[in-house]
Amino acid sequence: MSYYLQSIQSEYFLFLLYSFTVIEYSFFCYYLYLILPKRGIRKSIPFIWLGFIVFAFIDSTFINKDVGFDSFTSGIESIIIILFCIYYLYTQLKGSNNLLIYSTFNFWVVITFLIYFCGTFFLYLMTASMQHQISFQKQYFIINISFNILKNILLCIAMTMKLNDTVSQQKNAIPKLDDELFFNKKI
Amino acid sequence: MFFLQTTLGVSSVLILGTLGMFFMAITLVSIVVFHQRRVIRFNKQIQKMEEERQQMLLRASIQFQEEERQRIAADLHDDAGPLLATARLYLNENLIHQEPALQLQSIFSAKQIIDDSIQLIRNISHSLMPPTLKNFGLEAAIKDLFDKINGSGVINSSARFHDNRQRLNDEQELLVFRILQELVTNIIKHSSAGFIHLTQNAQGNLVYFRIHHDGKGILQQDFEKMEQGSSGLGLKNIQSRIRVLRGKIYFEIDNTHTYYKVTIEVPREPIK
Repeated sequence: MSYYLQSIQSEYFLFLLYSFTVIEYSFFCYYLYLILPKRGIRKSIPFIWLGFIVFAFIDSTFINKDVGFDSFTSGIESIIIILFCIYYLYTQLKGSNNLLIYSTFNFWVVITFLIYFCGTFFLYLMTASMQHQISFQKQYFIINISFNILKNILLCIAMTMKLNDTVSQQKNAIPKLDDELFFNKKI
Repeated sequence: MFFLQTTLGVSSVLILGTLGMFFMAITLVSIVVFHQRRVIRFNKQIQKMEEERQQMLLRASIQFQEEERQRIAADLHDDAGPLLATARLYLNENLIHQEPALQLQSIFSAKQIIDDSIQLIRNISHSLMPPTLKNFGLEAAIKDLFDKINGSGVINSSARFHDNRQRLNDEQELLVFRILQELVTNIIKHSSAGFIHLTQNAQGNLVYFRIHHDGKGILQQDFEKMEQGSSGLGLKNIQSRIRVLRGKIYFEIDNTHTYYKVTIEVPREPIK
């Protein structure tokens, strides 16, 4: 998407790219903050988030002013999210219960992040220096679209898991008894 | 990165890097999934084994109860029944037609038999719940038990309590008494020991009971094997009582290989 935005000649393009990265990172951080166990690295997520925001601001204002793509910020974002995902998987292994890990919604969302950020890590890292090469642009298009499709497929699976969870919860829930009918009945 | 780009070319670096990272992610996820599956399988196996073990202990406990009931029934039927029947014979309707001397003798004999019956019933009742334990606590009951064993002259036995200021609660005392009783019975029956010595001590919240004997004993691995096997009903009962007490039991031999030691560790629970 950022590449399409780039093709539109806009003076705010870099600002849009940075905003997109920061918002994307913030959402992922918040989601991981919600699902990680209360002890351990979870406490440091807000600080890491703040550090990243400050770094993105410095990078966009002073370092990466004329490059045209936020490669460095995206790379750092990818590394942080990958590390968080690995940590999540580690906590799942450590606190293993009898529920199969791949039957949960959170697992599929986390591996979606992991695979997407792993797959596009090199791509975003090289974009700043290679964006004007035609061969690179073609590869960028193919890799980016492929991983976006994969991400969407994995997120669909995650949604299916959530849907199954909700359906089974509804099945297990005690049916609502229509006592009100009796209480409100005027004799 | 620049070095790689100049030597391999941009597209190679990009494709190799992307594929490498992608496969790393896939490998990581696969490792997590397979490891978790293995852990779950292992947990289920342990759970199953634990369930089987619990079932075996429960079965042993039920069997023990049944045997105890059969023993009491046999005692009542074989001993108390005939005694009371005999007493009834002495006190039959013809007693009034007999001579006074014979009458007196019959009454005396009947009284003797009724006394024996009372004693018998008291013995049965004592074997179910030792009165010393109920009235005076574990220390007195253990000492009483050891005095009785000593009095038989077959085996030399002694018991010494070092720190019993803070007693266990009634339920725990009964369980400990049953465990020690079972252990002592086993030693007498199977070990051909010359002496049994019991020591009690306490450390913090834990109370320790240690039995020493010089007969043929068993070690921890023998105990675990026998406890898991189909035989060893008494040992299974010991184990189930230890579980109820949340305690531990150790079967050891001393360094000189002369004495066997059985140590019971019981955490104190508040007195109810």
